[in-house]
Amino acid sequence: MVAPEHILRELADLWVSLGSVLRACTLTLVVLEEASDDAAALGETIAALMPEHPARTIVVRLSGAGERALAERVYAQCWMPFGERRQICCEQIEITASDAALADLPSVVLPLAAPDLPVIVWSRSARLFEMPPFGAMARMAAKVVVDSAGFADPKRALRLLAETAGSGVPLGDLAWTRLTRWREMLARLFENRNYLAKLARISSVRVAYNGEFATSAWYMGAWVADALRDAGVSANIVVGAGRGAAPLSVELAGDGFRVELVRREDRLSITVDNEENCTNLPQPSDYLMMREELGIVRRDALFEQALASAARLAYATD
Amino acid sequence: MGIENPFQDPLRFERQAPECAIVIFGANGDLTKRKLMPALYRLAYDRRLSAGFAVIGISRTPLTDDQFRDKMLESVKQFSEDTAVDADVWAAFARGLYYVAGDIGDAALYQRLGQRLAAVESERHTGGNALFYLSTQPSQYAQAALGLGAAGLGKGGGWRRLVVEKPFGHDLASARELSGHLHEVFSESEVYRIDHYLGKETVQNILAFRFGNGIFEPLWNRRYVNHVQITGAESIGVEGRGAYYQEAGALADMIQNHLLQVMATIAMEPVASFRATSVRDEKSKLLRSMRAMPPDEVRRNSVAGQYGPARVGGQEIAGFRQEPGVDAQSPTDTYAAVTFFVENWRWAGVPFYVRTGKRLPKRVTEIAIQFNPAPLHIFDDDGGESAPNLLIVRIQPEEGISLKFLSKRPGAGMTLRPVSMDFNYGSSFGERSPSAYETLLLDAIVGDATLYTRQDMVEASWSVVEPIQNVWRETRLDFPNYAAGTWGPAAADEMLARRGHVWRKP
Repeated sequence: MVAPEHILRELADLWVSLGSVLRACTLTLVVLEEASDDAAALGETIAALMPEHPARTIVVRLSGAGERALAERVYAQCWMPFGERRQICCEQIEITASDAALADLPSVVLPLAAPDLPVIVWSRSARLFEMPPFGAMARMAAKVVVDSAGFADPKRALRLLAETAGSGVPLGDLAWTRLTRWREMLARLFENRNYLAKLARISSVRVAYNGEFATSAWYMGAWVADALRDAGVSANIVVGAGRGAAPLSVELAGDGFRVELVRREDRLSITVDNEENCTNLPQPSDYLMMREELGIVRRDALFEQALASAARLAYATD
Repeated sequence: MGIENPFQDPLRFERQAPECAIVIFGANGDLTKRKLMPALYRLAYDRRLSAGFAVIGISRTPLTDDQFRDKMLESVKQFSEDTAVDADVWAAFARGLYYVAGDIGDAALYQRLGQRLAAVESERHTGGNALFYLSTQPSQYAQAALGLGAAGLGKGGGWRRLVVEKPFGHDLASARELSGHLHEVFSESEVYRIDHYLGKETVQNILAFRFGNGIFEPLWNRRYVNHVQITGAESIGVEGRGAYYQEAGALADMIQNHLLQVMATIAMEPVASFRATSVRDEKSKLLRSMRAMPPDEVRRNSVAGQYGPARVGGQEIAGFRQEPGVDAQSPTDTYAAVTFFVENWRWAGVPFYVRTGKRLPKRVTEIAIQFNPAPLHIFDDDGGESAPNLLIVRIQPEEGISLKFLSKRPGAGMTLRPVSMDFNYGSSFGERSPSAYETLLLDAIVGDATLYTRQDMVEASWSVVEPIQNVWRETRLDFPNYAAGTWGPAAADEMLARRGHVWRKP
């Protein structure tokens, strides 16, 4: 049994015991994870996020089948900013919940949210996304962040997410966040006036993926297609499993003009016609991706459009 | 209008500089070493610079490109406060550094520069865009601008911009004269007058604080504000700049530009949109609304000071006149305090006390807005008079905002005591704040002039400062009149006391 009043009392006591520290809070971050998740790695990710996005963090660990059970503990994450004299601390609450107790979660989490600040739900569990209690959690959130790469069926994941976004839940998908640096590189390329002038020549876009990059590939295809359409360019879009080892590649081609972006290990190779350039592009960590998502606590119209287009594109090719 | 890049995502992509060449006049100078190059390197480190980016340094000392690169590497290592030099990032950045030796007064320099710009444009694909940065003696500004114009470098295949460091003239006439010379080659929209104070995060935060929140603006007027104090205090002396400082003085060096710009940001009317023209129009209107004082008012409402020798913290501190390069009878003000008034409906009658000085007890820049006391004092000894409500915007150090108000002391009885509610900018957001020069350089490359000073703002500032300068020049000032390590001359305290006010001790 978990009583929110009890947790809040524990939090108050915690601050008294910490003495002269600076308390910082800009949001409530609710993290939903499976018991099988690497708790230590998640702890490191949350600790890294706190200096930029100080939050009251509520980590809900799903313990799976078993008796209806909820348990909690309260502690603080503190750090000393460089050059500062006082420690800054954020609160962390850990709740363990069995599947049978999931329905009780919203009634526990809601009173624990920091008053007047946005609640962000980060669901690291694909399984939970389809369970009824998730809807109640999502409704209390200013934003829900998921990772569609973890879903077993990528097309179904896109459809589910598009439906959720369509119902008014502001969403973020780390499969889309993974593409930010890719999309930025492509955008930078077309800052060059010579290349921009050749945009109208593009007639085909091919996106190939391997492994867990399926939903990212659909997003990429949809985003490029939307951008070209907005620029008045009509191109044939093909998204499919790749033959090579590259986890993701995208090629824009047409009359005497070809642009290709391919990831090879930690490098992004950018080829324009026959000229190849390489840039360092390590796989973004959960910390980097969540840092980006927590920086956008509002509707991301471009993402929502890409999600809707990706879901349509994925099913249109069946 | 050409086709626009359809792949942009302003919400997620970092703001990036377009391709361009930056030409720095005075590339061997202190500003380049301490501020410009570390800021440019940091922008490169943060991937804010385009691949088509280059820097051409200009100075009299003969150097090869490689020697210039080595010198700049040393500067970045020495003066980057929070960025370690990454060998790969530096190597890529340094490939875009070039050097041209020559004298600013020599027409042949501009011919060589033109050839180098053309070569760099083809080598680095800078798109014909060029930003000329005058980091030289102010007396060379006009010469450099006219030299660029004569060589046809004021126009090119892409955009051209000119960045000028303060001082923008030494009085109204010289400011207009300088502007006239710059405008012979560059239009006003191409001239970027840099005031590094305006690039500080906290100065920008004043706009966010005032116009992003609904609760403060209703109080932001003569009905609720008793007076405003703006302090720009330095604990150091002239640090080897005695010869320059002797010609400028505190009033011209700090108040005419930095502190009046800060005051304009605090007191300006709300803008309809956050665009360069709207923001600068409102600041300009505010500066033009400031009362230019006749001589008798100047004598009542301003105080000049100069520090004398003192023993501070067990150390003997030389007086200003004993500093190297300073005339032993120098009449230069190292301290200035002025009571300004803004003649508009919002601020009529509200004194704005602005002070700055060298060798004051600590380095601090802040704005303190003191509100009127509660109209009735219903508690015994409530401290309302001695501890008024204060809103303090700290610009440096420990940037932040504090609100001081009265609270009940725990225990029996109604004893009130002042408390402070603090927002600390650095620790509430753990993110690194860009340096003022990073912000301003990126703005200039992107073409955003919001934080740059426009000519009409410069002229409006001189219009209120020049009458003070004139009176001080004609008055025999009894210097030194404050000891190093103190909060300035007693006359400055008396100036406030006449209106029943006292300076804060920040």
